[in-house]
Amino acid sequence: MTTQRLHPRVRIVWVLRAVLAAAILTAPAAGAHHLGYVPEWVPVVAGATLLVLGVVHALLRYRRWSYEIREDALYLDRGVITQVRTTVPLVRIQHVDSRRGPVERVVGLASCVVYTAGSRGADVRIPGLTPDGASDLREELKRLAIRADGEDAV
Amino acid sequence: MKLAPQSIPYRALQKVAGIVVVLFFVVNDTGWGFPAAAGAGLAVLLVAGAYEVAYYRRFEYALTEDTLDIRSGVISRREREIPYRRIQNVDVSRSVIQRAIGVAAVDLETAGGSSTEGSIRFVTPEEATRLQREVQRRKSAGSAAEGGDTDADATGPIEEELFAISPRELALVGALSFDGRLIGLLAFAGSGSVPVVSGYLPDVSTLALSAVAVAAVGALFLVSWAIGAAVSFSNYYGFRLARAGDELRYERGLFRRYSGSIPTEKVQTLTVSDNPAKRALGYATLSIETAGYAPGQGGEYGSEAAIPIARSGRVYELAREIEPFGEPSFSRPPRRIRWRYAFRYVLLLAVLVGVAFAADWYLPTEIPWYAPAALLLAVPPAAHLKWKHRGYWLGEDHLLTRNGFWSRSVRVVPYYRIQNVIDSRSVFQRRWNVATVVADTAGTSSLTGSDAAAVDFDVEEAEDLQTSLGDRLQAALRDRRGGSASFEWLDGGAGVSAEDDGTLDAAVDAAATDADANAGASDGDADPDALDADVNPDISDEGVVRPDRSSGRDYSTPAERVDTGSYAVDRFPSDADVAYRPEDTEGSADAPDDGEGDGTAEDGEGAAEDGGTEPAGSDAPDGTDDGGDPDDPDGIDDGPTR
Repeated sequence: MTTQRLHPRVRIVWVLRAVLAAAILTAPAAGAHHLGYVPEWVPVVAGATLLVLGVVHALLRYRRWSYEIREDALYLDRGVITQVRTTVPLVRIQHVDSRRGPVERVVGLASCVVYTAGSRGADVRIPGLTPDGASDLREELKRLAIRADGEDAV
Repeated sequence: MKLAPQSIPYRALQKVAGIVVVLFFVVNDTGWGFPAAAGAGLAVLLVAGAYEVAYYRRFEYALTEDTLDIRSGVISRREREIPYRRIQNVDVSRSVIQRAIGVAAVDLETAGGSSTEGSIRFVTPEEATRLQREVQRRKSAGSAAEGGDTDADATGPIEEELFAISPRELALVGALSFDGRLIGLLAFAGSGSVPVVSGYLPDVSTLALSAVAVAAVGALFLVSWAIGAAVSFSNYYGFRLARAGDELRYERGLFRRYSGSIPTEKVQTLTVSDNPAKRALGYATLSIETAGYAPGQGGEYGSEAAIPIARSGRVYELAREIEPFGEPSFSRPPRRIRWRYAFRYVLLLAVLVGVAFAADWYLPTEIPWYAPAALLLAVPPAAHLKWKHRGYWLGEDHLLTRNGFWSRSVRVVPYYRIQNVIDSRSVFQRRWNVATVVADTAGTSSLTGSDAAAVDFDVEEAEDLQTSLGDRLQAALRDRRGGSASFEWLDGGAGVSAEDDGTLDAAVDAAATDADANAGASDGDADPDALDADVNPDISDEGVVRPDRSSGRDYSTPAERVDTGSYAVDRFPSDADVAYRPEDTEGSADAPDDGEGDGTAEDGEGAAEDGGTEPAGSDAPDGTDDGGDPDDPDGIDDGPTR
C-alpha cells in the first residue's frame, strides 16, 4: 500500500477544535476585561493569536499526517512541533477499534485506533477516515494481524 | 482450596481496627460512658468478623489443568480464571504481624490491567510457597507440551543461587541511597513555617540567617539520606536471587519479607543503572522488568525485584545470564551534538541569572545575582559528559541503549520484545538534524519516560535504526516460531502463494511488496540486511509455516468437531499447538509426508462444511484457502453461516 493521506475534511475537525481551545483559553482574559482589570485589546489580541496559532497548527498537522501499511508494519508519520514516526509491527497489534466522535459524525468522518501492548505507543489513532474507510482499515489490519500471527505478545 | 483460618480475625482487625479505636474514643466522649463505647467497638468488630467469615467461606481457589481459578466475593461474586501461561509474576509478602500469626499474602500478576489480577489474602506460608512452585511447574509443563524443555518434574527444578547480598553490599546500598522525595516533602512543610519563624527573628543579620538556612538544608539532606538508608536497608536485608529452571526467584526484606518469582521468558527489559559514586566504586544496580509490573512502578514488590547493588562485572554477568547480549560497544551520537547540550546549559544558566537578577531588583538586600554565571565554566565538561554517556548498540538479539551521567542506565531490550518503534524529532532536534529512536516494550516503567531510547542520532542513522529494529523483530519472531514449536518453513517464495490464492490477499501482497520496493528506492540507503530478510527464499511471503509431524500427533483422522453455531471462534489462535498451512502449494507437494497432509486438509474442509469448527492445525490459513469463496473479504471462510 502506498502512503495514505487523511481525508481533507479532517481539517474542519481540527480547526473546530482549535477554535474551541482558543475560546476556552481566551475566556479568562475576557472575564478580566469584563470585570475591568484589563483594557479591551487584551482579550482580542490573545484570542486572535491563539486562534491563528491553532488554525495554522491544524493545517500544518494535516499536511504532515500520513500513514502506510507496509508488508509487516503499520507506519505513521505525524506531528508538527515534534515530528513523530511510529512503526507498529503488525504482529504486535492487540486489537483495532474504529470510532466516531460527535464532531467527526457531524463532518462525516471516523477514526481507527490500533492498540499494542506497548507502554508508550499503546494506542495509535488514525483520524480523518471516511466511515467506510475506517471499517475497511480495521478489517484490513485485523486480517493482517491474524496473518502475521504473533505469538504471545508479552 | 481455602484460605488459612487465622486470616479471618487478622483481616477483620486489619480493616476495622482504626474505626474501632476512633469510635471508642468518640462514643466515650459523648457521655454514654465506657460500656456504650466498648459495646459499639465490639459491634463493629463483630460485623467485620461476620463479613470475614463469609469472605472466608466464599473464597476458594483451585489449580486446574491450565488455569488458576479464584472464586470470591461476599456481596458481588466473582469467578476468575487465570491461565498459567499468562501469569507474569507470583509474589509472596509477609509483614511482621503476618509472620507472627503464620500467614502470607500471594499476588499474581498478568500483563493486563494496572492492578494485581489475583490476590490471595491470606494463606499459610507453606501454601504460598507451594502455590508459587505449582504455578511455575504447571506453566512450564504447559510450554513443554509445545516443544519447550522439560526440566521441570514433579519435584520442581533445582534452585541455583545467583546472588546473595553481602553485609558490605547491604551497607553500600544504604549509604548510596538517598530519598529525594523526602527533601521535597520537608522543604514543602518547612517553607510554610518560614514566615512564622521570621516573625521571631527580626534583628538577625543576613549572614546569620543564611548560615541558618545552609545548616537547615544540610540537616535536611542528612535526614533524607538517613531515612533513605534505613528504608533500603530494611528493604534489601537478606536479598537473594536464585534461578530455578526457567524462573528467577528473589527474597528480601527485614521487617516485611518478600519473595517472588519472575519467569525468564516474560522478561521485557533489563536495566543496569549506576551513578558517579557507584561508578567510582565499581558497583551497579540491575533491575528486571516484566509486563506484570516494573521497577519503580509496581509499588511494594516490583521496585525491588532486582539486584540492588553488586560489582559491575557481576551485574553484567548476571544480566547476561538472563539475556545473553554479548559485549556491547556503544556508538555515540555525532560530536557536534555537544554544542546542542552546551547551548541548552547556557540557556539554563541565563534563566537562572535572570531569576537571580529579578530577585535582586525586587528585594531590598543586595545579592550577588551574577554568581550563577560562574557555572559557565562547568558547561563544556557537562555537555561532553552528557554526550559521552549516550549511545546505543545493536547486538545479535538485543538492542542496548545508554543514557544519563548522574544516573546512567543501560537498557537491554531483546528485539523479540519490541512492541513498536518511535522516531521523534523536536523542533530543536530538527535544527541539528538529529532524531530520537525509542524502542517501546510492554514493560510499564516507560510511563515515567524511561524507555530504551537512542537519543540525538543523525537523522539517517535514526531511520536506519528504526528499519533495522523492525526487521530484527521480524527475524526474531521467525526464529522464535521456528525454534520453539519446531516448525520448518515452506519452500517456495511469494510467487507460489500469490499464484494460487488469486484473491484479495495476492493483490495486497503485491501492493505491499511494491510499497516496500518504492520505500527502498526512495531511501536509497536502506539497510542491506533488511532487504535480505525480505527476500529470504526460505520463508514464504505469507509467513506460513508447516507443522513438523515428528511430534507424534495423528493427522490421519479429522480433529474433533466443536459446534459453536454461528458464533465465530478464533480459528487461528496464536497459541495453538500447530500452525496453519496452505493447501495445494508446491511447497507441500515437496514435503515428505504430503499424502497425510493432504488428507488432513480435505478432512478439515469437510468439517468446515459441516458447520463445525475444528481446532486449528488441520485448517487452511486465512486468505490462502483454496478459492472456495474467492470473494470472501476477510479470507476466513465462515462455514456455519453459509
